[in-house]
Amino acid sequence: MYTLETINANLFYGEKQALKDISIGIEHNTVTAFIGPSGCGKSTFLRCFNRMNDLIDNTRIEGSYLLDGIDIYGKEAEVYDLRKKVGMVFQKPNPFPKSIFENVVYGLKINGITDKNILEEKAETSLKNSALWEEVKDNLHKSALSLSGGQQQRLCIARTLAVEPTVVLMDEPASALDPISTAKIEDLIYELKTKFTIVIVTHNMQQAARVSDKTAFFYLGELVEYDETKKIFTNPEKERTQNYVTGRFG
Amino acid sequence: MTPYLTKIKSRDKAFRIVALCFTIFALSILLVLLVDIFWRGFGRLNWSFFANLPSRKPENSGILTAIAGMMSLLFFTIILALPIGILAGVYLQEYGHKSWYAKLVEINIANLAGVPSVIYGILGLQLFVRMAEMGNSLLAGAFTLALLILPIIIVSTREAIKAVPKTLREASYGMGATKWQTTRRVVIPSALGGILTGIILSISRAIGETAPLLVIGALVYVPFIPEGPNDQFTTLPIQVFNWVSRPQAGFIINAAAGIIILLLITFLLNGIAIYIRNKWYKKMRY
Amino acid sequence: MTHLQERLDQLKNSLADMATLVERQLSKSVCSLLEEDEDLANEVLHNERRVNAFELKIDKDCENIFALLTPVAHDMRLVFATLKMNADLERIGDYAEGVANIVVLGKKQFDQELVKKLDIKEMFEITDAMLKDVIAAYAENDSRLARSVFSRDILVNDINHKAMSIVSEYCQNNNDRIPQAINLLSIVRKIERVGDHITNIAEEIIFYKEAQVLKHGNKGGDNTADR
Repeated sequence: MYTLETINANLFYGEKQALKDISIGIEHNTVTAFIGPSGCGKSTFLRCFNRMNDLIDNTRIEGSYLLDGIDIYGKEAEVYDLRKKVGMVFQKPNPFPKSIFENVVYGLKINGITDKNILEEKAETSLKNSALWEEVKDNLHKSALSLSGGQQQRLCIARTLAVEPTVVLMDEPASALDPISTAKIEDLIYELKTKFTIVIVTHNMQQAARVSDKTAFFYLGELVEYDETKKIFTNPEKERTQNYVTGRFG
Repeated sequence: MTPYLTKIKSRDKAFRIVALCFTIFALSILLVLLVDIFWRGFGRLNWSFFANLPSRKPENSGILTAIAGMMSLLFFTIILALPIGILAGVYLQEYGHKSWYAKLVEINIANLAGVPSVIYGILGLQLFVRMAEMGNSLLAGAFTLALLILPIIIVSTREAIKAVPKTLREASYGMGATKWQTTRRVVIPSALGGILTGIILSISRAIGETAPLLVIGALVYVPFIPEGPNDQFTTLPIQVFNWVSRPQAGFIINAAAGIIILLLITFLLNGIAIYIRNKWYKKMRY
Repeated sequence: MTHLQERLDQLKNSLADMATLVERQLSKSVCSLLEEDEDLANEVLHNERRVNAFELKIDKDCENIFALLTPVAHDMRLVFATLKMNADLERIGDYAEGVANIVVLGKKQFDQELVKKLDIKEMFEITDAMLKDVIAAYAENDSRLARSVFSRDILVNDINHKAMSIVSEYCQNNNDRIPQAINLLSIVRKIERVGDHITNIAEEIIFYKEAQVLKHGNKGGDNTADR
């Protein structure tokens, strides 16, 4: 069974159709990259998996979106529960203007966990998981905004990991960062895949090639090709895919 | 250097000089006023000035009751206006701001902020003093002033909340928080600096109000300290107003001294507001 | 450790394993001649498919690393050099197979006197030492050790050079043993080619380590990498 799956997924912004009949299956503990030119729908599609598109007016979805086999838009689906199982890291680092510690445990506190020992333990674990612990362990009560951009993004990752989701969605997580921070984030993703299922949207093809196991290429709202990353970057099936990855358009 | 370049350079210089002149002119008028006040009133500032009740003799007159009245009035005003203003601002900006009635309210509040304060006095007179039968008490004054500063608090709360970036809310929702959790834990704390600034500025405004209080019947000569919300009262601006209309020279001096105190309080409050706003900006660093 | 470093380490290990296998193949094939051991020769023939499998795997690994991880600088040179060394090793494996083939078909009819005259044993010992040295040089990124094979290859070439006249003379004196003499000459040629491939490998190692290109007569000196 796939961890994330869609069957004939469609999405409309009012009259405009943003996603056209997308069927995809994402396996457990893999890193999947969504690539494609600007406006192809990859971010929109990503945000369907944690229902962040609900926050935008006038969107309508059709088709099945499944998490571990269960329809996430179904009548009994609980949005708040879903977002704990499916976490998200955004393009621009967005730590809360609170201390580093408060940022990391935010998700735990909104779930009603208040025991100080548990909070400290989970904070340490997720900061270690996001390769930030060593740099901040003596300064947990400093403001999160005093960190550099790369550190802030790793903090946002730690924050997401603290609630122990199954899936981590990343929407161009390194595009606002310098090359060294980007490399650190990529190494992190490579390590995290043993514990989480990761889907990453990126407009940087080399990044997709470096970090992912499977790659999905989107164009104008359609899923053009979805295969092992090795295949997509050495010998893709569709000519359009080949044209995109060799940089001939987009 | 072409003739055209010469021309535009000299126009640039000319504008700078003209602007500077106007600035100096405006500031010097202010400076003249301040110097005059200080020169007249500074000598009067001593302990007895603060500690005394008003009296017929200027030497014996003090601002104690005025200060006491002002503080008590502010206290009640804040208790009334703050919770309503902040919650209304939060609701209108976070929850309701897309519906038609919210838009209606939005337009009206903006208008209310510009209404002359005397009108509030008349409203307060009819509504609180007469219909609610509060008389010309601190309570009536507090309600009236609360109405007056409410629009300011609501607008500045809304602005502060609007300034909280969407990305922070997204981050909170992304972790499974409800709207209320997001508002309580992220939006309001992030907007706090702006909200506080708005509160202090509205207090600053309230302190200076004279007309509405006179209309509702704040007394001009109050030789006692108000003890409860139902007591009559006076404030420092009113006291100054009273002194200024007396013929004796001593009272003019008293008035000047009173103005100095008023100015100091205003500067202090504005200074605190600026300090908080700067600290908040540093903390947010958007 | 980063993803890239992991893959590069795996690649180096794969090539090292293949090189060790090829060295053993060479060893066994020449020994099968010197000791007249047909079983040993058959072993070599049997293992040739493993050498080929290694070649395919390393080719694929290099392709994937280039496409997916886009290495640059010395990482790029490592993968580049490994890809070329892969081809050289596979050819050495082929020559070892060729020698073993000749031994099996010859059926112990080789004149060991001629074998001695041709200095096949010495030729093999030098070549084997050269191969072991470049394997070590690759593992330890030691370009000096790699350089040490060039002079020895000259000795190997000498032996090859003399072989023609030795075999000609032998053929004139032993009319009935011409085929096996020609086979032995063929074996000498093959070992000489092995020596050449080993020097290619050495050049690749030096390219990787120093970004210096030593090909086509340019052995040492102060040129810059400019492929």
